[in-house]
Order: sequence, then C-alpha cells, then structure tokens
Amino acid sequence: MSTDTPLYLTGKQCRIYRVRVNDLEAPFIYNDPTLEVCHHESKQRNLNYFSSAYTAAVSAVDPDAGHGELVIKVPSELWKQGDEMNVLKVYIEFSLDQPKGGLHFVVPDVEGSMAERGAHVFSFGYQNSTRFWFPCVDSYSELCTWKLEFTVDASMVAVSCGDLVETVYTHDMRKKTFHYVLPIPTAASNISLSVGPFEILVDPYMHEVTHFCLPQLLPLLKHSMSYLHEIFEFYEEILTCRYPYSCFKTVFVDEAYVQVSSYASMSIFSTNLLHSAMIIDQTPLTRQCLAQALAQQFFGCFISRMSWADEWVLKGISGYIYGLYLKKTFGVNQYRHWIKEELDKMVEYELKMGGVLLHPTFGGGKDKDNPTPHLHFSIKHPHTLSWKYYKMFQCKAHLVMRLIENRISMEFMLQVFNKLLSLASTASSQKYQSHMWSQMLVSTHSFLKSISNVSGKDIGPLIKQWVDQSAVVKFFGSFAFNRKRNVLELEIRQDYTSSGTQKYVGPIKVTVQELDGSFNHTLQIEENSLKHDIPCHSKSRRNKKKKIPLMNGEEVDMDLSAMDADSPLLWIRIDPDMSILRKVEFEQADFMWQYQLRYERDVVAQEESILALEKFPTPASRLALTDILEQDQCFYKVRQGACFCLAKIANSMMSTWTGPPAMKSLFTRMFCCKSCPNIVKTNTFISFQSYFLQKTMPVAMAQLRDIQNLCPKDVLNFILDLIKYNDNRKNKFSDNYYRAELIDALTNSLTPAISISNEVRTVDNLNGDVRLILEEITRSLNMEKLLPSYRNTITVSCLRAIRMLQKNGHIPSDPSLFKSYAEYGHFVDVRVAALEAVVDYTRVDRSSVELQWLLNMVQNDPAHYIRHKILSMLGKNPPFTKAAESPLCNEALVDQLWKLMNSGTSHDWRLRCDAVNLYYTLFGLTRPSCLPLPELGLVLNLKEKKAVLNPTIKPEQGLDTTEMTGNTMGVHIPVMGFTSSLDSVVGPLGSSSPEPGQVLQEEDTSKKFKIREDEIDMESPHDSQAFIHHHLNILERPSTPGKEPPAVDQAVLSLPVTPLPSSFGKESTSSSKHSGDHHHHHHHHEHKKKKKKKHKHKHKHKHESKDKERDSHAFSNSPASGRSVRSPSMSD
Amino acid sequence: MADPAVMAGGFSAIVGRSGCGKATSSPAENYQLARRRTLQVVVSSLLTECGFESAEKATVESLTEMIQSYISEVGRCAKAYCEHTARITPTLSDAVVTLNEMGFNVDTLPGYAKRSQRMVITAPPVTNAPVIPKALIAGQKRTHPSHIPSHFPEFPDPHTYIKTPTFREPVSDYQVVREKAASQRRDVERALTRFMAKTGETQSLFKDDVTAFPLIAERPSSIPYLSALLPSELELQTLEETDSSEQDDQTDSENTPVNNLNDDPGADKENSVLLAGGVVPSVKVSEENMIDNPYLRPVKKPKVRRKK
Repeated sequence: MSTDTPLYLTGKQCRIYRVRVNDLEAPFIYNDPTLEVCHHESKQRNLNYFSSAYTAAVSAVDPDAGHGELVIKVPSELWKQGDEMNVLKVYIEFSLDQPKGGLHFVVPDVEGSMAERGAHVFSFGYQNSTRFWFPCVDSYSELCTWKLEFTVDASMVAVSCGDLVETVYTHDMRKKTFHYVLPIPTAASNISLSVGPFEILVDPYMHEVTHFCLPQLLPLLKHSMSYLHEIFEFYEEILTCRYPYSCFKTVFVDEAYVQVSSYASMSIFSTNLLHSAMIIDQTPLTRQCLAQALAQQFFGCFISRMSWADEWVLKGISGYIYGLYLKKTFGVNQYRHWIKEELDKMVEYELKMGGVLLHPTFGGGKDKDNPTPHLHFSIKHPHTLSWKYYKMFQCKAHLVMRLIENRISMEFMLQVFNKLLSLASTASSQKYQSHMWSQMLVSTHSFLKSISNVSGKDIGPLIKQWVDQSAVVKFFGSFAFNRKRNVLELEIRQDYTSSGTQKYVGPIKVTVQELDGSFNHTLQIEENSLKHDIPCHSKSRRNKKKKIPLMNGEEVDMDLSAMDADSPLLWIRIDPDMSILRKVEFEQADFMWQYQLRYERDVVAQEESILALEKFPTPASRLALTDILEQDQCFYKVRQGACFCLAKIANSMMSTWTGPPAMKSLFTRMFCCKSCPNIVKTNTFISFQSYFLQKTMPVAMAQLRDIQNLCPKDVLNFILDLIKYNDNRKNKFSDNYYRAELIDALTNSLTPAISISNEVRTVDNLNGDVRLILEEITRSLNMEKLLPSYRNTITVSCLRAIRMLQKNGHIPSDPSLFKSYAEYGHFVDVRVAALEAVVDYTRVDRSSVELQWLLNMVQNDPAHYIRHKILSMLGKNPPFTKAAESPLCNEALVDQLWKLMNSGTSHDWRLRCDAVNLYYTLFGLTRPSCLPLPELGLVLNLKEKKAVLNPTIKPEQGLDTTEMTGNTMGVHIPVMGFTSSLDSVVGPLGSSSPEPGQVLQEEDTSKKFKIREDEIDMESPHDSQAFIHHHLNILERPSTPGKEPPAVDQAVLSLPVTPLPSSFGKESTSSSKHSGDHHHHHHHHEHKKKKKKKHKHKHKHKHESKDKERDSHAFSNSPASGRSVRSPSMSD
Repeated sequence: MADPAVMAGGFSAIVGRSGCGKATSSPAENYQLARRRTLQVVVSSLLTECGFESAEKATVESLTEMIQSYISEVGRCAKAYCEHTARITPTLSDAVVTLNEMGFNVDTLPGYAKRSQRMVITAPPVTNAPVIPKALIAGQKRTHPSHIPSHFPEFPDPHTYIKTPTFREPVSDYQVVREKAASQRRDVERALTRFMAKTGETQSLFKDDVTAFPLIAERPSSIPYLSALLPSELELQTLEETDSSEQDDQTDSENTPVNNLNDDPGADKENSVLLAGGVVPSVKVSEENMIDNPYLRPVKKPKVRRKK
C-alpha cells in the first residue's frame, strides 16, 4: 500500500461525525454520486444518457475497484508507518437516521411495548448493500474477520453473523449487548443483522442451528424447520465437506425484501414461508427456499467472489447443488421438469430481450465494446442490472453448471466443489496470513483451472459458447424417412440472426424411437450441413406383434395402427437431455407426438408433446391426452399440463366434439361419489398427485367454450356444485388452495358480457350465470374476513375474479375496492393481487389518477417488496408503450419517472433498476415522444452536443476513469485532485488537479464537513462541467463563511461552460437538496419520540463501527484479525 | 233471579254467539259446539217446563255444565261396565246399572218421558262426526298371522309392544346427507356474512344498488401476517392433535419472561435463563441442560470495569 492514497470506504446515507486514524483526526469527504445520477439537467430525458451516467456513478464508488463514497485522508504523520506496513486503525463515528435502505424497520402500529408489538429490524439489500447501514469496504472480495456488538433493548434478540460469545446487560439492566465473533474471514457484504422480539427455537437435530421467528409463530416455525437437518446432511454428503461455519441461524421476518437472503452463517427469510402441517402447497416451496439458502451458505457466503464478473460461478454452483437436492428429494421427474422450466424461461427471455451474458469482460471502456448493446442498462455492475435480467442470469448460471457436469461428469464436478471448499477452509483457518485468504474467493479463472486439473478435460469451447458469449440457440427440425435406403433424413436448421440467438457448432444428440428400440445418435452440427442421414435399425414390421423396447429398457405393447405403415419411426427427439441452451421447434406427425406422449417415459418429452399436440385437435390427440390424465404413474405436472391442452383441443374441435364436456366424466370418475356422481367426495387429499389434479381440472375445464363462445352451462354448474359440495371437515389438510382454484375456475369461465356499449352496468341487467358466480365470490370473500385462509389465498383469487368481472363488463369497472385492499396493512399476497388489478385498470381505462396513485405508492410504501412489485407489474402490464400513443404519456409523467430513477430511488438498487425498466417500457431509449420538441436550433444543438460533448460529459469519461483506476492508483476524478494535492510527491497527477483548495479547506475547517458534503454530493465524478464548476467553487470558498448557501457560488460559476438552463437546474436541485436536508433534520427531531429505539441503534452502530474498524484494520500481528487494507487491485 | 228482559232473547243470543263466535273453528269443535247448543236448548226447555220465565245466562250455563257432566258420567260408567264384561259396545243393561249406581230410579224414567207438557226438542244439527286424528304410524304394523281371523283388530304399532327406538333412524341416503350438509353450511355462511355486512361497513361492487352484493369492508390489520399464516380456529378444531394447547402454553411462557424482564431487570440467574431463551421454558429441563446453544445461555451481568 502506498501511503499517499486515501482510504476508500463505502457508506451510504450515514451521518458521519468524525473519523480518526490511529487516534488522529482524519479529514474525509463523503460523496455519493448515486444519490442523484444526472445533475443540473432538465431537458435530457433519454435513457441512454441516464444509463451511462448511472453506470459511471456506480463505477465511481465501486468498492470492487477500490472506490467508495467515503474518502478518508490518512494523516501525514502516519505515512511513514504506512510504509512499514503498520496497522492503521480507523475509527468512524456515525449515525444512521431513518435509513431508507439497508435496514428495514417493521413497527406494527398497535398498543404495547416494542416487543409486544413484534417490532423488528433487519438488514437487506440487493448484492453488496451493506454500505447502506455502516461504512465498510462493501465488496465481496474484501475479507476480514469480525467482532460485532449490538446493544438492544432487553426484550429483543439481536441475531447477526458469527458465534454469539456472550450476552451482557448494560448497567441499567434495560438493555443487553450481544457480542458476536466471526473468526472466518468474511466480506462486509455478507454481514447482516436482525433484531426483534424473536421466539427462539434450537433445532432439535442440530443444536448449533437456531431458528428465530416473530412472536406467536413458533408452532409454525417448529413444523417448517423440522426438515432442515436433512438438507444439511445432503449438502455435507455430496460436498464431502462440513458446513463451514460453527453455527447457523435462520430468521423469519415480515416485509422481507426477498424470500431468501443468505449471509455468513445466517439466512433471513420471509415470515410468509412458515406454514403449519395442514398446508400442502407451501411445503415444497418452503423447503426449496431453505435448500437454496443453505446452498448459498457454501457458495456465496463462505466462498465469495473475486469480482462481479465471477458472480456466475457462485450462483451457478449454488443453483446446481440446489438442483441436486431437488433431484434427490422431489425426484428425477421434478428435477427434469424444473430444468426444462428454467431453460424455457431463460430462452424466452433471451429471445425477447437479447442475450444474458454470464462472464462479461470489459475492454477499453468504449461504448462500442459494450458486450451487451441490446440492453438498456449496463451489466458492468450488479447494481445497474434489471431484476429480471439478474434472475435469468442466475437461471443461466446453474444451467451452464449442468452443462459442465454433462461434459465432465458429476463425480468430477463434486470433486471440484470439494476442492474449492477445502482450499477455502484451509485458508480461512490461516489467521496470520491474510494473503492466503484469496483462496476463499472464487474467480472464473480459478474455477476453470480446478475443473481442468480435476477432470483433465478441456471445457474451453463450452465456456466460450455459454459463458463468455450471450444468447441461446434456436433450432428448427424436420425429417423425412427414406424407405429405400431405410434412412432417416433429418434436417436441423438454426436461426442465429434474430436477437438473442447465436450459432451453435458441435455435437447434438438425437434420440430416435423405432419399432426395435430407442437409439441415440450424436450428430455434428457444422457450418453448412443442414441434413443428417441417420440409418434406421429396424425394418417396418407393424404386423408382427411384439413388445417394443423403450429407452429405459422397459418393453411395452403399443397399438401401432396409427402409424405410417412404411416407416419404423415412432418418434424423434432432438437434444433430449437439454445439453444445449436452446429452443427446439421440431416437426413430426401428430401420431408421433401422441406416441411420444403415451410411451416416452421422460417428463420433458411428455411436456413437449403436450405442447405440440395443441396444434392437432383430433380425436386421437384427445384420446392420448385423456389416457395420460388417467394414468396414475404419470408425473402429476404432466397431467396438469394435459388438462389445459385438452381444454384447448376441445375448443378447437367444438363442432365435432361428442360426449360430455372434456374432463367432466373423468373428474366425476376420479373424484366424485360412486352413488351420486354429481357430488364430489369429501376431501382427504391423501394422494398429493390426485390433489393437484383435482385442483387443476376444474380450472382447465372452465376454459371450455361452446359455439357461442360461452362457457358451457354444464361446466359452470359443475364447478358451482364443486364449490357447494366441498366438504373439508374430515380432512387433516387445509383446502384453501383448492377452494382458491375453484374461484379461479369461476374466473376462467367468464366471457365478455353482451351489452350495448356505454351502458351502465347495473345489478338488474346482470346475467343469470354471472349472478351465481358473483354470489359465490361475494360469499367467499366475506367468509375470508371471518375465517381467513392460509396466505389469504381465497381473497387473492376473489380479487382476481372481481377484476375479471369488471374487465368483461359484467360489473362496473372501478378500482376503489382494489385500492383499499392494496393499502398497507393487508397480507402481502392480497396487496399484490389488488395492485395487479389496479395496474390492469390503469392500462384498460387509461387512468392517470390510478397511475399517480401507484407511483405515489412506489415512493411512499413502507414495504420495499411492494414498491418493487408495483414497478415490475407496471413494466409487465404497462399503461402504454413506446409504440402507441396514449393520453397518459405526458411531460409530467416523464419528469416524475425521471425523478424517480434519478434521485427518488437511491436507497434501493433494485427499485432504481425497476424504475429504469419501466421508463424503458414506456418511452424507449430515446427522448420520449410526448415531450415538446425543443426549438429547432436546440435540436440540432442537442445532436451536435451529443457528438461533440460526448467525450467530456458522457459515459466515456466515467469508463476512462475506472480504467485508469485499475492501472494506477485508484483515483477518480474529484478525488484525483484531492490525492495529488495531498501529496506533492505525486507530481504528474497533481498537475492536472484543479482542486487543491478543497482539501486544504477541509483540513482547516472540519466544522464545515456536513455542509460541504452536501455540496460535494452534487458533483458527479463523471461530469466535467461540474468538475470545473466545483474547482472554481473551491477557490471561492475561503472567503465564504462555512454555512453559506451554495447558490452564491453557483451564480458566480454558472457562466463557464454550463448552458443557462442547466445552471438553473442545478440551482434548483441544490436548493431542493438543502431543503431535503433540512427536512431530514426536522425528522430527526420529530422522531425523538421513538427515541428508545433510535437510541438503541445509534449505540449499536457506534459499537459496531468501533469494533469493526478496530478489527478490520488491525494487521496480521493481531490474531483476531488482519486484512489487506486495499482492494485487490490496490494490493497488487 | 229471573230477568225477563234477558229471557226473551236468551236463546238467540246464545245461539247467535256460539254460531258466529268462532267461524274458523275446526270440525271437531263445531261438532262439540252443536251438542252443547242442544244441551242448552234442553236446559232452557226444562226451565220453561218448570215455570221459569227467564234465566240468567250464567245459570243456564251452569245447568248445562251439570247436565253435560251427568250424561258424560253415565256414558263413562256404562262403557266401564261393558268393558268389565269384555264387550266393546255398551248395552241397555249397562246403562240401567249405571243409572242405578248413580242413584237414579230407572223405573221413573218411562213416566217422565211420557209427561204431557214436555217440549219437543229438535235434533242437533247434523255435523260431521269429528275425524279421529290419525295416530302417528311408526313402523310397519304386523298383519295377522293365519290363525287370527281378519275381523280381529289390527295389531297396534310395533313400537307399542315390540320396541320403541329412542332416536329417529337417520336418513341413510348419502346424497341427501351431503345435499343437506352443503345447503346448511351455505345457509349459515350466507346468513352470517349478510349479518356481518348489515351490521358493519361494506363495500359495494355496484353503484346503483349498494346493497346488492355487499362485501364486508376490508380492515387493515397492524400485523397482517398473523391471521394469514396461523391456522384459523375452525381448522384447528379439525386437527385432533393437541397442537393448539401446546401453542397456548408456549405463548404464555413466552410472554412471562418478557414481562419479568421489564418489571424486574435485576432478575436472578434462573430468570435470566428465561430471558435469554425466550421460549426455552417449553423445552424440557433435562433437554435444556443437554443443549448448549449460545442463545439459551444466561445473560451476564455487566462487569463493573467494562464500561467507562
């Protein structure tokens, strides 16, 4: 480490009082460019500009690159010591006042003490977000050991990372201090905290594992956690490695940010995952969440990543071992179904949005080197990603891991993981050699090296294809059978020109089921060869009655009358093992699909054939589907799929359909009483497969339509009877999901009302059937108030049904009901359902009032998940799009959204990216069309400006900075001046620095820090105008008193480069900023009422910061700690 | 005693009253009223015969009552005598014996009947004899076995001499039972929700008729997850397991330490175990000793030198 470089720490929204380094007061700057992404700029409204500015802002404080919001100048007295690699102890005194992000407080508004009210707090964030609640080096690659102390009210429990060493009362015995020690080197980003009046459950199987839940939920916790030890055993067994931490804690909190978040030795879950033994549907979901959390404990928390570009390895491994767990616990069918589902989801996303790139490499930092030009956001940082993209990223990561497994075998795969883990655990025990700790970080390179070491195989092409390159493969297949040569002529074409696709060259597996058996062929996809000849093994011989061997060795009798007499081919599958990230559109005859559905034992094949059969509405397809529905041995999800397919086929065959409505007799036979077929059996739900089928069939049946395009009367009455005769008294399971699906079935049966347009919907002109439906819905919804169902599933379904009734014109369209259900204070699922209805209403009725209401909620709702959800739902179901005109699209909305993403969402990365997404959906990349055209001259000007000013204003600047940082000493622009001015030795840099005054000033008048910070905040490092501005500002400074409003400076300074409007913009932002600050203060006073809690946290932070810093900056001579102060790029 | 004014309209008044008094009476009542009216006529004629010009209404009524009692008694006794001799229809001799028994000299009867001044009384108006209400038939009556002639009385209901079931045979038809249960539940639910909707705030789906499909107004709760996650009481009932009682115990014991803590921060060591553990008390004491979990350990008292 060189002495002259300042320390960079990350920290957001903290109020920093003082910083001391080795007991010496140290000057510091606090500058968070992401608070407001674009400054003094009122007319620019194009997303390209925003994205690049945002990327630059995030880069400027990227802890991975050694940057941060908090820059501390090491006092010159310590420089020498620094040279000698001595310990620097940094002490930061700070408080966090009403944090908007990072920590979430849930304080129910009821009588009683905080503990009685179930008030709790927990840390949250997307990726590395720890800086939101304490200053740290918020990078996954900066490891250190930790000692944490939390002083909380005596009725509360503080759960954090590491081992709880002791709990001590404070002197007044009103508070307790929890002392935690985490001896395993851990990145700050993996540190979390959760405080609340938790009920404590020690896992009965593993006493090191402790579970925490909110008051009254203990019985649910007991049941939900009764399974965890099996997951532990599974992972430890396959990884042949013990769980790396000495303890594990699960905390279940309300208003969780995400369902599952893993931190070192603890995981924070949504409390809504808890369930009682009566609940069927939630059980597998909760177990899957637990398994995910635990997988991330090994890969993600214990083993951390070297840089953002290596994220895919961790997500991939944790996703992959989670998949292994799925396979073991839920069976191969479920596993393959899941893989198919994930693959389809990802392929769909990539084809729609363009590719997902797992391992981005950034070259020169020029725009044209952007690896993902198709995206409206940068993938350079996790914090600029759209949430959906990140989900697909995770999806792709584990799929690619599976591809690697296919290539090198699972055994080697697990050996690689074991190697990574054992290296890491050896390194973690090296207390005195912190340089060893880099073994705990995984990088793409090291991972690939381990693979080649362990397996001896070269997986380079695979990595190149799927990891270093985005996009998927799209195959079209068709075939012909050449009877003379007895050869199958297969043609496989590719589409590699449309977005999100790439060309695939290499082997592909094709499975051909013939009369004599199933045969695998590996074909080479090459540049120009489309046709592949595959010799058939069997002669056509349909007359001989002989059992037909299947792939799995089973031999079955088939009725071969349907097939082509000349061909021995039963069905063909391309890439049956999903060993390419692809979409296959394959053409084969309908009977082949039917054979495939009936006799192929692979669930993926069955699902594919179900999808294909939709296009063949024939009695034969109907029969095949019905047979599958009746087959108990068939995977239940396939049967569920068959239900919907059958409904579609029935609708297509409407005129020729004979017999009762599809599935009705089947349902009657399976689920109704023998003596009275119109009455359903009383519920037992003993067989879960039947249970799921019973739930699905009515929903699918309700999609049936008759010639008038109405739901057949038979079907509707049938569903109404199911509701009427539903009897759950003797059941040990709850029927809430079943009842909810019956309501869904009613919803599905709705068709548009026939009425004169503009007619007011009244009770009197309500259609008779609809009246019955409405009565059921009303009653169910009302009953929910008296006997609420688990997760209020029925309310959710009822709300959807009501919206459907409105949409179809049966009842007046009115959002007020939904708005009341969407208010804070309802169960989150209910809120989301209600919000979805409001979003839909906004689109259909083009209501600006509702849109405003939604956007207000995005800004003000206490629950972060809801805010995120609103924006993503608006993105999915937008009130208008860039393609269409809409009265909603106006300047005010543009400004509002712009403000939202520019400054309104600085406390939550995810939310900001959601806002960006929405903006993109509504307005596209360029300037929104609804904005008034600027005067002609300006247009040109703008264009020109873009061309000319680009090098100075725009992203290049930011990117350049970063690059320079990597090579030299980690300086970015405003700081560059700072650095150089501090250190006269570094002449070259200093000469370019226009800001000596700033630093001197800061050293002299430490009192001014706060106000100075505010001003600095407004400067973005990538904005050269602001830069000069600032510089001049500083020169002016000594003559101005410490607390002057900055407007004075600006008035003086606006002349140089900045156009007039911009300066106005700036002024307004700065003043608003100040008023905001004022507000902040005000708040502080106001909230003195909540002093107790507040105080507690202040305390906590002080302690923590003290200890953390003490530890983290102590060097290797202290056994408990030791770390390299600089980021990797620095220490190199 | 006699009141001529009343006398004149006496009969008609009585007759009139009884005639229209209860227009809606049942056939049986009509029958009895007709008899009674005849008796009244008899009493009145006897009185006239005896020389009374008028009589008070109450007197006539009393005399009617007396004569009715007397005749009834004669009938009852005659019936008793006849049954005594194992017959079912009374004969003349039964009546004679009865009258004698009651201290009436039968021999004087023919003379009295032939007296000259007797008045002829019209027969009572023909009314239908009251239909004997059908006895509740429970079960199948047995038919006569072959050795009993068919003119013998029928067997009585089996429950009178074979067995009397104390409960009604449940309707065994499954369909009906289900139907009934379903509609009962539906009715209860509907009534309950309607009641709740009537008595509380509602939301409506229609603007023209706010009462058409009333929805009970939603009410935000401060802790929404509790009602959404915990099983409802109804569901708990169906679970025969003792989960619920366990749960109560736990929440109770959970609350206590919190209170202790607020009231008595300087609790002794055992108490502090409770404080740290939160729910630990529900764990058996023996188990507790075995489990070494830092969250179950006692909270330490502050060391004096630790803090400044």
